[in-house]
Amino acid sequence: MKLAVFVSDYRNTVDTLERLDVEDLGIVFVQNGVNHAAVKENGEPSPLLQKKARLYALSEDLQTRGFTEADVDGRVKVIDMGELVDIIFNDYEKLAWL
Amino acid sequence: MADVKLAFIVQRPPYKSENPKLAITHAIAYQVVEILLEEGETVTPTLCFVGDGVLACIKDQKAMDNYGITSTETHLKNALLVDLNVLVCKEDLERFGISEERIIDAEEMGAEVKIQAVPFAEIQKTMESANHVLFF
Amino acid sequence: MGTLTIGCFSSFIGSMNLDFAFKLASAAADKGHKVNIWFSGNATTVTKKGQKHLKDYSHGETPLRELIEKGVEVCTCEACNLARGIQKPDAVEGVQWNAMQWYLAKIYGSDRVLHIGGE
Repeated sequence: MKLAVFVSDYRNTVDTLERLDVEDLGIVFVQNGVNHAAVKENGEPSPLLQKKARLYALSEDLQTRGFTEADVDGRVKVIDMGELVDIIFNDYEKLAWL
Repeated sequence: MADVKLAFIVQRPPYKSENPKLAITHAIAYQVVEILLEEGETVTPTLCFVGDGVLACIKDQKAMDNYGITSTETHLKNALLVDLNVLVCKEDLERFGISEERIIDAEEMGAEVKIQAVPFAEIQKTMESANHVLFF
Repeated sequence: MGTLTIGCFSSFIGSMNLDFAFKLASAAADKGHKVNIWFSGNATTVTKKGQKHLKDYSHGETPLRELIEKGVEVCTCEACNLARGIQKPDAVEGVQWNAMQWYLAKIYGSDRVLHIGGE
C-alpha cells in the first residue's frame, strides 16, 4: 500500500499510525503537525521522525508558527502547497487524515 | 463498469463526536449512490471500528431516552439491515474488556449479517484492498 | 490531470482544517486538476453567506466563492445544514445541496480522496 498520512496535531498521539503496516509510507506534517518536524522536547526529536517513511512538512504552516526551514529536522523535506499537490497525485495512491 | 471499494475507519467514540454516526450514514448511502452513477458502477464500503471507535459497537444504548437523538446503535442496526460489511477490532475489544456478546446485532430485525470481531490485521487488509481509506 | 475529492467534516472556525482544505483545493485546481469538495457535519456552517471577515476568525465565504469560480464543485449535506438552521437561500450561491450519495459518487470518479474527519 502506498499511503500518505497527514498528521495535523502535535499532542494527540495517533495510535492508528503506529499500528499501520505500510510498505510505502509518507507522513505529511501540516497544521500543528509541523511541530513534529521543528520542535525538540527535552532535546529529543519527535518519535514520528523515526518511522520508516518519507517525511514532509508544509512550509506555510511552519512559517505561520514562527519556524523557518533552519528549525526543521534534516529528515524532513519542506514543501509548499503546490508540491503537496504533486506528491498527492504522483507518489501515493491513498491518503489518510489522522 | 467497476466497483470502488472504500474502507471507513472509525477511531473515535460516539456522541462527543459526530464522526461515528456520519461514518455509518455515509456508508449506508452506498445503497442509493447508483442513482448518480452509470449502470454497473458500484461503491462498496466496509465499516471498520478501531481504537476508541469500538465503543460505538456496545449494545443497549439509550441515547433517544436521554437526549432525544438516534443512537449510534440504531444507525449500526440500519447498516446491518442493508448488508454492510462491519468489522470491529478484536484486540481493541479485549483492551476495553468488551465481550463479543455485548456487540450490537440486528438479528431480531431480520438482518442477515452481523458485526464481525476480527484481528487488526484483517482491518489492515481491508485498507490495503480498498481504493480509498476514510478515517472518521 | 487527475481528480481530487476532499471531504470536510470539521468545524469551520477553530480547527483551521477547512482553511487547509481550501488552500489545497485551490492549489490543485491551479495545476489543472478537477476538484470536488463535500461538506458534512459541523463543516456545513461554512456555506452560510454573509460572513463578516473579522481578522480574528477564519473566513470561508470568499475562498469558497473563488473556488467555485475556478470550477471546483462544492456540495453540502442538506440535512446537516437544515439541522443547523441554514436554509438553501442562506447559502453561498453555487454550492450544491445534496445527500451523502453525492460524496460517494464523486469518490467513485476520483483518483485521490482526502477525507478530513471531524473533531
